Amino acid sequence: MNATATAPGVSPDAPRPHDTLRDGTLAITGWGVVSSLAIGADEFTTAVGAGRSGLRDVTGMFDEELPEDEAFAMPDFRVRDHLGRKGTSFFDRSTSLALLGCTLALDDTDLLVTDDNRDRVGIVLGTTAGSIKATSDYSRETLVNDRPYLVNPVLFPNTVMNCAAGQSAIWHKLKGVNATIAGGQLAGLSALRYARNQIRRGYADALLVGSVEEFSPHTAWFAHRQHSEWEGRARVGEGSAVFMVEDAATVREAGRQPDAEVLAVEAGTYGPPGRSPDAGEGLANCVLRALKRAGVEPSEVRAVASGECGIAPLDDVERRGVEGALGTEVWHVRAKEWVGECQSAAGSLQLAALLAGHRGHPELDGAVSVVTSVSADGSVGAAVLRGWHRGRRADRS
Amino acid sequence: MSEAREQHLDELREIVAEVLEVEPEEITETGSFVEEHEADSLRAIEILARIEKKYKIDIPQAKTMLRTVSPADWGRTSLFAAAAARLAVEDSGIDQELLSAAAAGSSIGTTSGESQVIEQLTAEWVHEGLSGITPAYAAQVPASRLANAVNQELGLSGEAVTLSTACSASNYALGYAYDQILTGDADYMIAGGADSVCRWAHAGFYRLGALTEKVCSPFDKDRSGILTGEGGAALFLETLESATARGAHIYAEVLGYGLNCDANHMVAPDPVSIAECMRRAHRNAGISPADVDYICAHGTGTPANDTMEAKAVVEVFGERPPPISSIKSMLGHTMGAASGFGAIASALALDEGFLPPTTNYRTPDPGMPGIDPVPNESRPARPKVVQNNGFAFGGNNAITILGQVA
Repeated sequence: MNATATAPGVSPDAPRPHDTLRDGTLAITGWGVVSSLAIGADEFTTAVGAGRSGLRDVTGMFDEELPEDEAFAMPDFRVRDHLGRKGTSFFDRSTSLALLGCTLALDDTDLLVTDDNRDRVGIVLGTTAGSIKATSDYSRETLVNDRPYLVNPVLFPNTVMNCAAGQSAIWHKLKGVNATIAGGQLAGLSALRYARNQIRRGYADALLVGSVEEFSPHTAWFAHRQHSEWEGRARVGEGSAVFMVEDAATVREAGRQPDAEVLAVEAGTYGPPGRSPDAGEGLANCVLRALKRAGVEPSEVRAVASGECGIAPLDDVERRGVEGALGTEVWHVRAKEWVGECQSAAGSLQLAALLAGHRGHPELDGAVSVVTSVSADGSVGAAVLRGWHRGRRADRS
Repeated sequence: MSEAREQHLDELREIVAEVLEVEPEEITETGSFVEEHEADSLRAIEILARIEKKYKIDIPQAKTMLRTVSPADWGRTSLFAAAAARLAVEDSGIDQELLSAAAAGSSIGTTSGESQVIEQLTAEWVHEGLSGITPAYAAQVPASRLANAVNQELGLSGEAVTLSTACSASNYALGYAYDQILTGDADYMIAGGADSVCRWAHAGFYRLGALTEKVCSPFDKDRSGILTGEGGAALFLETLESATARGAHIYAEVLGYGLNCDANHMVAPDPVSIAECMRRAHRNAGISPADVDYICAHGTGTPANDTMEAKAVVEVFGERPPPISSIKSMLGHTMGAASGFGAIASALALDEGFLPPTTNYRTPDPGMPGIDPVPNESRPARPKVVQNNGFAFGGNNAITILGQVA
């Protein structure tokens, strides 16, 4: 199926003071996942359905010693195996994971990106702090080399946090809005919320939206040194999940069938766990605000894909938030049990887990679910979506 | 000296040494030590805050800028963001309690987030191995904490979003905040950016050949690069109705913005794409090029940036573009905060009636005829509409348009 990404009746060159305001409902028309559990939306759907785990032996993955022998990582992942050797040799791991996620999402959507619409197609990616390993390695060079400036200029762009989004745009020649959101645990939902604004305001017609986190000795030790007291916590992981997001009304008018519609995304900031103002109550309000915006009653929510991770003070905030808004009956999808604690990629992987549930199950068509995220710094967020199974639409090819 | 007094002095010396990252013996009351450290007010506040905490006493000076977030818990860049936000809110005159109770949030731009924290962790890695890193530093790594620090400092319960689109990030942040207000998602927003100087970025720019040896002289024929800078910039945004109703001093109105991506090269600017970004910003603001009275340039002072920026300006504005100057000649390149400082300079230009200069300007560049860089001294003028340019690694172009309130 073909679709243009230009809003009907609006020439991109016409003066548009305060661009057209769409209603903010987003359609997800395709997605891609790169995770220790599976790579690709279909593969991820199968793996989630089979209840598999992505936990892997990671000893020997790096020269540096690791705090734990197992992680939700991909020891064999090489970007060149997926995208070829040409142009990929200097990519850091975050960039590789994100670019592959974007590529898979583009393959999965029925939106065709051509020279006619690539100015209005862009990327919004969430991160914690970019490739922490690339940055720390670069920083290390200034300390251990004979002279502090004997660093490799070619690797310098890898230290900026927008490297993954910038390289992905270059790879796919997407000249529309290109944004990077440093959101940590909230990154997936923040990216979605940012994209919602861009599309609602008419600044872009289609955006690859998602988030990414890499596994490295740094992320493993940072987590271990902070949280080792919580023995049951989800082990650290890595991955990316990217969604092709468009204006829902435009997709509907074109007779296209989305995988899901994101009806609302809300976020707020409260105290860190245990401090005032209570983030649990904040999350409950945030979920209720999102439901109201979505026009959905709490009782209609079938599932919540939460970010619970086995760290009690954080889980307590999330549990109270979800229960406060949705009660105790709602079904919890705990994606971190299968894909690990992927930090900034977590929210997007939670959303992917819900889409995986819909993808092969027509009986779930139209069901409403919620994604929730909380951070150690007191940020909370919630998204409301309605999903459908795949297979209702003719394949683009 | 009594033994107790001696002991107190030792304790104080230890606190100062820890904050300044020097050996206690190096601390003297005279000479180079004082010169080296006297300008660092944030560290001074942190020292006072630690003394406050240790002796459980109240030192008002410890809280002059930050009233809520404790400097010991946050990285340098988050503190820049929170301090700038605090100053912006004080300048706005808004009632603190009203602000905290409202739908209010922050959007903060950055290039390298908590770069000094990562540097500190890297030093620990080099010296003790990753198993020896300090957990509290690890907790400070997420760049999301920049906007979090702003919300915590001001008690805001709305969204806190950190945009890490490198050196145009503050313009992204300002654009997002503008939309949040315009759509009614938020009643008040803090928009700005923050970054800290760090060794690796300095080294990286040096190796790219982008650092000048002497002065930063944008648009000059002999310009030779950037000087790295740091700091925090913040603007307080609300609707015109709200500002008028409470009798606020209004510096400027945000008219709109434009974003696009070169999708061509990670570090080399693309004039065609930059020109398109300007057109997007003009369209969104409902203006035409002829309406723009002044351009606050990205103007890094590298040969490539200024040439490409001038080329894009001529492409959009014609052979006689409006005056275009670079405040980076005075502030250095503050990275993710840069377009935030640019927005502030633009707002001041509109409010006070002047054009900020490009300092260190000596020789016109024959390669960019028609460019008026407002050389060396600010110029009295009455600009009505100002364009604030921001470009970045990754081809992330972002331009905001500010105007005088009609």
